[in-house]
Amino acid sequence: MTRDDPVKHLFLWPAFLVVLAVAIFPLIYSLANSMMSLRLVPPMPARFVGVDNYTDLLTNPRFWHTVRTTAFIAITSVALQFVIGFALALALAKRVRGVNFFRTTFLMPMLVAPVAVALVARQILNPTMGPLNQVATFLGFPNLPYLTDANWALGSLIAVEIWQWTPFVVLLLLAGLQGLPDDVYEAAEVENASPWQQFWGITFPMMLPISAAVIFIRVVESFKIIDTVFVMTGGGPGIATETLTLFAYQEGFKKFNLGYTSALSFLFLGVVLILSLVYLALLKPYLEKYK
Amino acid sequence: MSVRDLTGNRRWLAFAGCCAWFVFTIFPLYWVAITSLKTPPDVVNGPTYFPFIDFEPTLKAWRDLLSGIRGEFYSNFWSSAIVSVSSSVFATLLGAMAAYALVRFPFRVRLLSGVIFFAVAMGGFLLGRNVFGISPAMASILAFTVALALSVFLNRFPLPGKVLGNDDIVFWFVSQRLFPPIVVAFALFLLYSEMGKMGFKMTDTYLGLTLAYISFSLPIVVWLMRDFISALPLEVEEAAMVDNVPQWRIFFGIVLPMSRPGLIATFVITLAFTWNEFLFALFLTNSEWQTLPVLIAGQNSQRGDEWWAISAAALVAIIPMVVVAGLLGRLMRSGLLTGAVK
Repeated sequence: MTRDDPVKHLFLWPAFLVVLAVAIFPLIYSLANSMMSLRLVPPMPARFVGVDNYTDLLTNPRFWHTVRTTAFIAITSVALQFVIGFALALALAKRVRGVNFFRTTFLMPMLVAPVAVALVARQILNPTMGPLNQVATFLGFPNLPYLTDANWALGSLIAVEIWQWTPFVVLLLLAGLQGLPDDVYEAAEVENASPWQQFWGITFPMMLPISAAVIFIRVVESFKIIDTVFVMTGGGPGIATETLTLFAYQEGFKKFNLGYTSALSFLFLGVVLILSLVYLALLKPYLEKYK
Repeated sequence: MSVRDLTGNRRWLAFAGCCAWFVFTIFPLYWVAITSLKTPPDVVNGPTYFPFIDFEPTLKAWRDLLSGIRGEFYSNFWSSAIVSVSSSVFATLLGAMAAYALVRFPFRVRLLSGVIFFAVAMGGFLLGRNVFGISPAMASILAFTVALALSVFLNRFPLPGKVLGNDDIVFWFVSQRLFPPIVVAFALFLLYSEMGKMGFKMTDTYLGLTLAYISFSLPIVVWLMRDFISALPLEVEEAAMVDNVPQWRIFFGIVLPMSRPGLIATFVITLAFTWNEFLFALFLTNSEWQTLPVLIAGQNSQRGDEWWAISAAALVAIIPMVVVAGLLGRLMRSGLLTGAVK
C-alpha cells in the first residue's frame, strides 16, 4: 500500500456516510432517548430521568426471563447446528455418494424467508391437522402440544432454528475443510492412525479457528431472533418463548414506551457484548495452543 | 483418490446420514408445495400426503392469489422486489468501492476524533432539544453535521492517542453486524417519524427502507469484497497507472470487471438477506411499501386455518430464493466462495 491519492476518499466515504447516518447516528439518538421518560400513549412531555429506565429494567423479572429464553434458544440451537453441521460438512468433504446433489439441496433452508418457515412449521406441528402428530399417534406416541406447552414450544423453535441455519454452518465448515492440506493426512495414514484419531488429532484442531468464528457468528445472529417466534408462538404460551427482540417490539409498538424501549435495546446490546467478550476470553487459550 | 475419502461401511453410513438430513430438509418445502394445491376439505379433515393418491390437486389457491381477490398481494411483491434488488445493487457497489479503497490505499483515523464525534453528536442533540427547544429531528441533523465536520477537521492535526488503520476501519464496518438490529430499527423509526413531522416523509417510503437495507448489508459486503479484491493481481492496475488512467476509470474499467464472480456472489447473498428481512420492514413500513415477509407474517392471524392460501403466499416468498440457492450452489461448486471465509 504505497499509493496515495485524494480520490480514495471518494471511494470510501459513500459507504462510510451511509453506515454512519443510518446505523451509528440512530444509535446515538437512541442512547439519548434511553435516559428520557418518553411516552406517546398517553402523550407526555419528555423528561430527563437519568438511568431510571435502566434500573427499572434490571429489576424487572420479565427482562431477565427474556434474556434466559433468548440465551437458551441461541446456545442450544447453535450447539446442535454445529455438531450436525460438522458431520454433514465432513461427509461432503469426503465426497459422499451424490455429493453435488446434496451440496445444492442442503443450502436451501438458509435462503427461505424465516416467516415462511415459521408458517410451514405451524402447519406441520398443528395438533389435529398436522402430519407430525398423526405420525406420532400412528407410532404409538401421545398427541403432543408442540406450540402450546412451554417446553415443547421452546423445543419446536429450536428445531426450526436448526432446520434453517445448519446449512450456514455446513457452508463455512465445508470451505474450511477443503482448505486443509493433504500431506498431514498422508503422514497420518503412514502412521496407521485410525479415522477417529485423525479426526481428533488433525481435523478438529485445525478447524478450531474457523469453528470458533462460525459459532460466534451464529450465536450473535441467533440472539436477534424474532421472525420465527413472532409467527410461531407470538411469545406464548404466556411469555414462555418471548425473546429480547420480541419484548422490545411489544414495549415499543404496543405500549409506545419509547425511552424504556431504547434503554431495553441498549441493555440487549450490553448482553451481546458481554457474551462475546466472555466467549472470546474462554476461547483464547485454545486458539493460541493450536496456532 | 485422496486418502481422506471414505471407505467401506463408513461410506454407506455417511450416505445414510446425508439422506436422512435431506429428508428433514426437504419435507417442509414439499409440505408447503402440496398444501398450496389442496382443497379446504383435504386440509381440515386431517393431513393428506400425496397428490393424486390421497387428494386431488387443484390450482384454486393460486388462482385466488394471482387474481388479487385476497388483497394487496402484487403491491407487496413489487415493493419487496424493488427494494431488495435496488438495495442489493447499491450496497454491492458502495461496498465494493469502500473495500477497494481499504485494500489499495492507506487510511489513518485518530481515535480521539472518533470520540469527539460521538461526544459532540450526543451532546449537541441533547443541548438542541432540551435547552434550545429545537425539534428532535432538526436538533439531531444539526448535531450530526457539526460533529462530523468537526471530527474530520480535527483528524488533520496530530492529536494524541491511538491512530487507527485500515484493518480497524474494516473491523468497524463488520462490527455493525454485532448490534442487535432492534436498536437501530427502533431508533430509525423514531427518527423517521420526527422527520415526517417536519414534512419530509421517510416512514413507509422507498427511500427510507432502501437506505436502512443498504446500511444493514454494507458490513457483510465490505467484508466479502475486501477478500475478493485483495486476491486480484496488482500488475494490471499498475500498468494502467503508468499510462495515467484516472483512478475512477481503473476502478470501473478494470477492478470491477475482474472481480465479477465476487460481485455476483456478494450480490446474491445480500439479495437473500434483504428479500427475507422482517424486522426493519415491520418497523419502517405499513402499507404502500410493505414487503412480502410482513404480509406473510400477518396471514397467520388474518386467515387462521386457510392453509392452502397461506401456503401459496409463502411459496411466492420462497421460490425466488430457491432459484437463488441453485445459483449459489453452482457458484460454490466452482470453488468461488472458498476464498471468502479465510
